[in-house]
Amino acid sequence: MLSEQILKTSKLTKRFGNLIAVDQVDLEIKKEEIIGLIGPNGAGKTTFFNLITGLETPDEGQVIFKGTDITTMSPHAICKLGMSRTFQVAKSFTEMSVEEAIRVGAYNRRGEEEVQTKVDWALEFFELEDIRDYKCSDLGLSSLRKVEVARAAATEPELLLLDEVGAGLTAAELLKLMSELKRLNEETKITLCIVEHVMQMVMGLCERIFVLDAGELIAKGIPSEISNNQRVIEAYLGRRSYSESSSTG
Amino acid sequence: MNHKKKQNLENLLLLFFLIIAILVPLIFGSNQYNILLVTTVLIYGVMATSWNIIGGLAGQVDLASFAYLGLGAFTSGTLLIRFNLTPWIGMILGGLVAVAFALLIGIPLFRFRIKEVWYALTTCALVEILKVVFNMWEEIGGPVERYLPYFSGSVYHMRFGSYVPYYYLILGMLVIALLVNSRIAHSKLGFYLKALGEDETAAEVLGVNTRACKLRALVYYSFLIGVTGAIYANIYGFIHPSFFNGQESIKIAILGIVGGRGITYGPLLAALLLVGTQELLRASLGGEVSGLYLVIYSVILILVVLFKPRGIATFFQYRNKKPVKQEVKKKNVV
Repeated sequence: MLSEQILKTSKLTKRFGNLIAVDQVDLEIKKEEIIGLIGPNGAGKTTFFNLITGLETPDEGQVIFKGTDITTMSPHAICKLGMSRTFQVAKSFTEMSVEEAIRVGAYNRRGEEEVQTKVDWALEFFELEDIRDYKCSDLGLSSLRKVEVARAAATEPELLLLDEVGAGLTAAELLKLMSELKRLNEETKITLCIVEHVMQMVMGLCERIFVLDAGELIAKGIPSEISNNQRVIEAYLGRRSYSESSSTG
Repeated sequence: MNHKKKQNLENLLLLFFLIIAILVPLIFGSNQYNILLVTTVLIYGVMATSWNIIGGLAGQVDLASFAYLGLGAFTSGTLLIRFNLTPWIGMILGGLVAVAFALLIGIPLFRFRIKEVWYALTTCALVEILKVVFNMWEEIGGPVERYLPYFSGSVYHMRFGSYVPYYYLILGMLVIALLVNSRIAHSKLGFYLKALGEDETAAEVLGVNTRACKLRALVYYSFLIGVTGAIYANIYGFIHPSFFNGQESIKIAILGIVGGRGITYGPLLAALLLVGTQELLRASLGGEVSGLYLVIYSVILILVVLFKPRGIATFFQYRNKKPVKQEVKKKNVV
């Protein structure tokens, strides 16, 4: 694996009034990695995504993407550079068909002549061909999530941020999504950064994991390290009353 | 592919409409009043169709259409009165003045993310402000009508001595507005406008420069209406601050919504149906039962909102089948 870094944040901080949502976070993501970003509710994961993608401006700190300072750039310019994302609460284009929604993403790098090939690629890759003409408002949650990933992937990003794509899916749907993401990473070399509550997904998919708690980066490492990390366990479950217990990796 | 099929159907419908429209003066030709009525209906058609770019595709409820109409009319009219400049050039300049003004308003509005209700209210106020300004601006406007110099049958002055040529001029504008609409709807800009109209944040992270796209939509919209405004002034032969008509601006938005937001021929359909009925009723019943046309107009509105909330045009639209949940799942598993 290449060790070249694609994204680096330094001392990234965001305050909402007295609340510090993201507190001096330094992290690096390497090219072609699959990164997990976890943490309890309100840990600042989504805010962190918003800061990186330009939806919010940090109070302090810097975001460097592929060597460019993107701290104050607008989201569409950041997307042009090669970063896209999905949202925790699916933001779908309800009046559009599946194909049209993906087309919006595909236009990011393709002109009128080539755009259809990219759309077809995304439809095929995410197995959405059967429902390409359905309106997004007629879709169920799992298809909606897929469309959202597909249209973000159609922008041909180098870094794709996925905000809780697994939430609300059944176990079977989750496994399917995981294998698709894995394949996306392998075939297109897209770096993935996944915010997730579903531990099964994070542990099974991610090469490295970052843990946020109350806006602070409290741990980073490979999945087995994280699941045994005392601070992480405390952040999730509270302080242990008993001393040792085996954790699964 | 499916895309192309839809576009072909649209083109066919438009062609059909066009043929009928071209024949209209041959039927009503003898009665100038009828021609004027039909022209008025078409003016609403042009305006609603142009509105569709900003209001339908981009989802910005713009209530300033008559501001651009007035600016076009005053630019062309004033140039004709003061400098004897032919309206054929004046109407292009009128369009450009409308665009300049639209940008002047649009840049700060979109810069500060004014949208939805606030955008509607701001643009609504715009028309009223312009009306007051032109009422007080004695050099150009003022409360008294300013008549355009009358030369019967002078093509240079856009004077024909009959309403029929105006009818064809407006019809020409309508065709241009429809073509622009259709071209945009099937292009990158159209997809971007539809996307940002639904969710600006989602569009942004997919690489859509929402501000620039909205401004481009505003430019197309204001230019088309500005040019129409110049013709409008010539049809009526004068310019007056009442051209900045807030109430009628709202009506344009209603036509756009009732017709079917984002559907190329939707607003035109609504204009033909609603304004057509209105003018017809006003002409035939106006003397006897004043206000009846408003009642019928409202009933049609209510019916559309109840049964076709996405617009009249959805009657004729290719409807996507609703997915049968089980079927979708089966297919996905295989």
